[in-house]
Amino acid sequence: MEALGKLGISLGFLLMQFLAFFIIMVLLRMWAWDPIVTFLQRRREKLAKALEDARVAAEARANAEAEAEKILAEARAKAEALIEDARKRAEEVARQVREQAEAEAKRIREQAQAEMEAERNRMLGELREQIAALAVAAAQKIVQESLDEARQRALLQEFFSGIRDKKIVVLDELGDVAEADKVEVVTAVPLTEDEKALIRKALEEKLGSVAIDYVVDPSILGGVVLRIGDRVLDGSVSRQLQALKAQLTTA
Amino acid sequence: MTAHKNHEQTQKSGGFRPGCLGVLVMIALTIFLPRVVPVLQPHVALPADRILDDPLFTIPGLPGDQGAVYLTNTLVTWAIAVFIVLLMGFLVGRRVKQAMARDEYVLTGFTDVFVSFVEVLYNLTESTAGKWTRVIFPYFVTITTLVLVINWMELLPGIDTIGVLTPSHKPGYGYVVKDLGPVAILWEEAEGKGEKGEALVPGGRYGLAAVEEGEPTYEFRPFFRVASTDLNFTLALALVSVIMTQIVGLRALGAHYMEKFFNFRALLRGPMGLLDFAVGLLELISEFSKILSFSFRLFGNIFAGSVLLFVMGALMPPILFGFYGLELFVGLIQAFVFGMLTMVFMAQATQHH
Amino acid sequence: MEATAAKLIGAGLAMIGAIGAGLGIGVLAGGAVQGIARNPDAAGTIQTNMILGIAFAEAVAIYCLVVALLLIFAV
Repeated sequence: MEALGKLGISLGFLLMQFLAFFIIMVLLRMWAWDPIVTFLQRRREKLAKALEDARVAAEARANAEAEAEKILAEARAKAEALIEDARKRAEEVARQVREQAEAEAKRIREQAQAEMEAERNRMLGELREQIAALAVAAAQKIVQESLDEARQRALLQEFFSGIRDKKIVVLDELGDVAEADKVEVVTAVPLTEDEKALIRKALEEKLGSVAIDYVVDPSILGGVVLRIGDRVLDGSVSRQLQALKAQLTTA
Repeated sequence: MTAHKNHEQTQKSGGFRPGCLGVLVMIALTIFLPRVVPVLQPHVALPADRILDDPLFTIPGLPGDQGAVYLTNTLVTWAIAVFIVLLMGFLVGRRVKQAMARDEYVLTGFTDVFVSFVEVLYNLTESTAGKWTRVIFPYFVTITTLVLVINWMELLPGIDTIGVLTPSHKPGYGYVVKDLGPVAILWEEAEGKGEKGEALVPGGRYGLAAVEEGEPTYEFRPFFRVASTDLNFTLALALVSVIMTQIVGLRALGAHYMEKFFNFRALLRGPMGLLDFAVGLLELISEFSKILSFSFRLFGNIFAGSVLLFVMGALMPPILFGFYGLELFVGLIQAFVFGMLTMVFMAQATQHH
Repeated sequence: MEATAAKLIGAGLAMIGAIGAGLGIGVLAGGAVQGIARNPDAAGTIQTNMILGIAFAEAVAIYCLVVALLLIFAV
């Protein structure tokens, strides 16, 4: 106790200060600490709220930006589609124009070809008369007029057209045949209208109504070749000659 | 000293200020004044000096004269410091309440500084004490603020230097004074007329000199002495801190808190438990040593600081400014450490081991 | 006179104990600074524990101070 006294410690003073501290603390707590802590917490909340608001605003802005970007992208896609469409349409038009031009060119070419064909056929038809006359003259020289004029002409007609007694010779060889919608009639010289009518009649008897294509091919020399579907009835002179040649060489 | 600091700050923000001149004048005074007036080292004493010889009041029930409370110089500065702290708290609290009423959360001037200071302490408490923040924080902040204001009062002029002269109890010891009309200043220190009749320290310029036979000597009692240099104050704070730590611990853990000291359950676990029990008893002792270390840490630092200022003031006054800066720092650190340790100990007491 | 001298010498000798506390605080602060340098995120916890540790280390120096003060003023 005495040592404490020499250090300046006195219990009364100590006790007074001890109690005084609590009074000071209570007063300060009431006046300062509690309001300040409340203030700090409110400020913190306010700050957090402000930050939250800022975050929400930023989010909204980001959303709006994304929306705008989406709209832009859509518009861009639409524009691209439009451009593509226009390009396709232009291409289509160009293609059509080209096709038309090509078709026109083809038509013109075909027309020209057909005209050429007709011309050739006409010329061959004219030639026929001359050939016939020449042949008759030559034959008369050989057989000394053994045949009358009409008979001779009929023979020649038969030779060229493959039609005898108003019948297509080779048509007899055609047995039962499946339907055919197209028949190609190949002759060495163009047929007359009567002959064509005859052939048509004969074919229609056999096959019913059918499209007939008349083709002139001088290389068969004479007679007629019929192409009915996938069958070929060859009544051409060139084939007969071939057959004759074969018979002779084999005999 | 605080004025000096303020001037330094204003100087930073602007150009030449009149305050600057004041600082220069003060520095010049510290250089030239000691050549005219002797700067004496005050007599260092541990107990506070009584200004009045009769006790202010007596607390009944205490043995002997222990209950008597005298008006000491530390009590005066303590009261001034308490008044300052309460005033500060009251004004700041009122400003804060007004700001809250206006829904304003931006403060200015001193209020802002004070609130920022409190905020730092509050955040520290929150990160350490968790849900016990509300209980622990008032101790932390009250102790820190009070000790800080008291410590910094050490730097005010007039503290330890203005006082009353009374005739020396021991003739030949004390100070020889020089009358300057209404006031007197200490002129010489008399360490008693040398027993062998010679000057104790001859030749020293401001040193001790022999006093002429029959010259009256006086004792000097300063009116103001920093409360932290009185063990009563530091011990009272240490008791508050340690006792309240126990109470907070008991509130948080109930009877389990006492297990920290008297770990009977560990005894049931056999020989190794005995060690745990001994550790618990050591914890109890360390609680008492905390009282000692709390009170003497603050007391020792501030007491040594004021003695340092005495000595440096007597030896070389011009560099006193540097030591003022040091004491400013020490005062802050000690206030913070006292509060911080209280807070941490309380936070630990609320947690299970 | 010899008694006073002995008291003062004793007080001075008692304060030698502060060397230990000084060393301890130095080691503590050094360790804490290293810890903070390696893991700055843990600075808060490290500081709290450092201050606690310093308080315990300083307690030893404070006992020395108490003994010295008792020797000078109370004996």
